[in-house]
Amino acid sequence: MTLQHHPDDCTLAAFAAGTLDLGEHVAIATHLVGCSQCRGFVRAMEGVGGTVLASLPPTPMSADALLQLEARLSDTSEPQQTESMPPISDTGIPSLPKFVRQYRMGGWQWVAPRVRLRRIDLPVPSKTRVFLLRSGPGTRMLQHSHTGVEMTCVLAGAFEHEGGYFGPGDFDLGDETIDHRPIVKGREDCICLVAMRGDLRLEGLLGRLIQPFVRL
Amino acid sequence: MLVIVPIKRSRRAGNSDEELSPAMHTDDCVAAPHPDWNRLIAAIAVRQDRDAFRKLFEYFAPRVKTYFQRSGASEAHAEELAQETMLTVWRKASLFDPNSSGASAWIFAIGRNLRIDAFRRERRGGAIQVSEIEAEFKVDEAPLPDMSLASAQSETRVRVALEQLPADQVRVVELSFFEEKAHAEIAGILGIPLGTVKSRLRLAINRLRIALGEPT
Repeated sequence: MTLQHHPDDCTLAAFAAGTLDLGEHVAIATHLVGCSQCRGFVRAMEGVGGTVLASLPPTPMSADALLQLEARLSDTSEPQQTESMPPISDTGIPSLPKFVRQYRMGGWQWVAPRVRLRRIDLPVPSKTRVFLLRSGPGTRMLQHSHTGVEMTCVLAGAFEHEGGYFGPGDFDLGDETIDHRPIVKGREDCICLVAMRGDLRLEGLLGRLIQPFVRL
Repeated sequence: MLVIVPIKRSRRAGNSDEELSPAMHTDDCVAAPHPDWNRLIAAIAVRQDRDAFRKLFEYFAPRVKTYFQRSGASEAHAEELAQETMLTVWRKASLFDPNSSGASAWIFAIGRNLRIDAFRRERRGGAIQVSEIEAEFKVDEAPLPDMSLASAQSETRVRVALEQLPADQVRVVELSFFEEKAHAEIAGILGIPLGTVKSRLRLAINRLRIALGEPT
């Protein structure tokens, strides 16, 4: 299966540089799980990072830095990084990166008929909110506008809007200028991981009614 | 053998014309060749070779320190983080896979993860472990279909491509990816419009992608 929609190069490069906000990082990592092409590019950008690093002008280390460090090399009493990772929860969504499954998640929340949302609690403060969105066949996915960028990764099922057809693994970027009205395609529920920056505003009468209850 | 030659700083914006004279571009043969970093790391992995470690330290520690300082760390903190980076190189040498990434890319990734770790500790207290950040970047263990991307050869190609980029594009790449500057900040630093920052970045990345032989 070939993916049709990918994050843009600048975002992938920022991922490799480690400068993305954690919420956005999660969205890109989710896409990378299923996209070897983008993984290759990210790795290449890490190569760029290495090349830039190797070409930086040196800042002298303190005179005894090497000596101090050498004394620590054979010292095994220092706490080593242990692989004590919290248990991985089984979300039934294999395309979710492992590290995301270690995060605390809320339960599925009702948002609208046949639309449910599950919050993912990021372990560090993030400007970006991350949640799973599950929409039934034929539903219009959460109609909303927002004040910042929104990254969407399809985990299962598919949706379609003016920008094209988005199947599992595909990545969609929206911003405040885009008013997409995605419709869920096929017979399966469409499950997406969404990373959203800025404030969410649900549209329509129903949206305005439920807005106070949707605490993201 | 992999030889990383520093990117010529003569291509920098703001440098005078005489530095861009053709004579400056032949210094590859003048610069002392670096040792083979990959083999040095292997020597640490296989026989805890302290001499190999010293060589790596002498070249990389001062550059890693510059990297941290440019990311906003104080002089003392940058020194400490550079020490940590080199200690990690020593401890994790056996995990280094030269077929998967070049030495400088690997060291860059170690430094990047420590930088993120330090940044999060600052905001959340001491509860973060760098292994958490490593997990965030290890999005999929499956091998990539085209490993040639990450080969030493591709590292050379990246270096050549970076050298061939116009100075103003290189500067934007550095500021954006390795000094954690927002696009608007870069516009302020360089005194150029935001749109120009974005277009230079895009141009630079496109050139790198082409150099890597990547489909865009």
